[in-house]
Amino acid sequence: MPNAKHAQRLAIALLAALALVACSGNEDHGQSEHAAEAGSSSAGLPKGRTGNGEQLANAKGKATGQSCIDCHGADGNAPIDGTYPKLGGQYADYLGHALQEYRAGRRQHALMTPQAASLTDQEIADLSAYFGSRPSQLRDLHGAH
Amino acid sequence: MMRPLPLAACLALAAALPMAAMNAQDVSAPAEAPVPAPAPAAQGPLTGNADNGKLLTYTCQGCHGVVGYKNAYPSYKVPRIGGQSSEYLSAALTEYKHGNRKHPTMQAQSESFSDQDIADIAAFLSTVK
Repeated sequence: MPNAKHAQRLAIALLAALALVACSGNEDHGQSEHAAEAGSSSAGLPKGRTGNGEQLANAKGKATGQSCIDCHGADGNAPIDGTYPKLGGQYADYLGHALQEYRAGRRQHALMTPQAASLTDQEIADLSAYFGSRPSQLRDLHGAH
Repeated sequence: MMRPLPLAACLALAAALPMAAMNAQDVSAPAEAPVPAPAPAAQGPLTGNADNGKLLTYTCQGCHGVVGYKNAYPSYKVPRIGGQSSEYLSAALTEYKHGNRKHPTMQAQSESFSDQDIADIAAFLSTVK
């Protein structure tokens, strides 16, 4: 079943790609470049290293004077404020996406936006790999209903 | 479920009508009639009803219920949200609802939710283990 679903998605994606190629034949360069840029946000991050991520997670950020652990707790599992998410065991690529969004200013938070502003791609990958590797209190909703 | 807002609106209207009738003769200050403000505007955090939240979150499974399911463009796995705190989940949904946080599907979903719906959803998801 998932294969059928995937095949369908793939077909749609292929059609969309074809349409894009067809359109880019026109003088419409700006638009297709824009589409490519929007599509490449979390792809292209280097491979994350959990050891470096652990160090970075405990280091005070210049912008806020806080480390990740200071607010999200040990392993990212004990946030000091209810509105701060648990990070432990979250999908690493989602964490990477969230940090990239903060860094780009597309997602706003009084602390996270400045905290993420100076992170490199490698640092984002390392932090994401580290928190993604921690024990988790989170789960998907499979079978939750 | 009984919704407090329409109820309060009815009450406010009932109270305002006779006053408006009285003020109709008073030409000097029609706009400043002390119409009672709709009561629920300034309330604290809503208490979530996890049972209702469970009903409201069947749709969420389409993406959040598939282990390792990937968002397309950009490609990353749809986050695990079960067991996240209700405060965080409420804040996230409210941000999507108001367009402060961007994701086409999540914005579309959350636009249809009332503040009470969001509290209910958050209450349920935070208890998923």
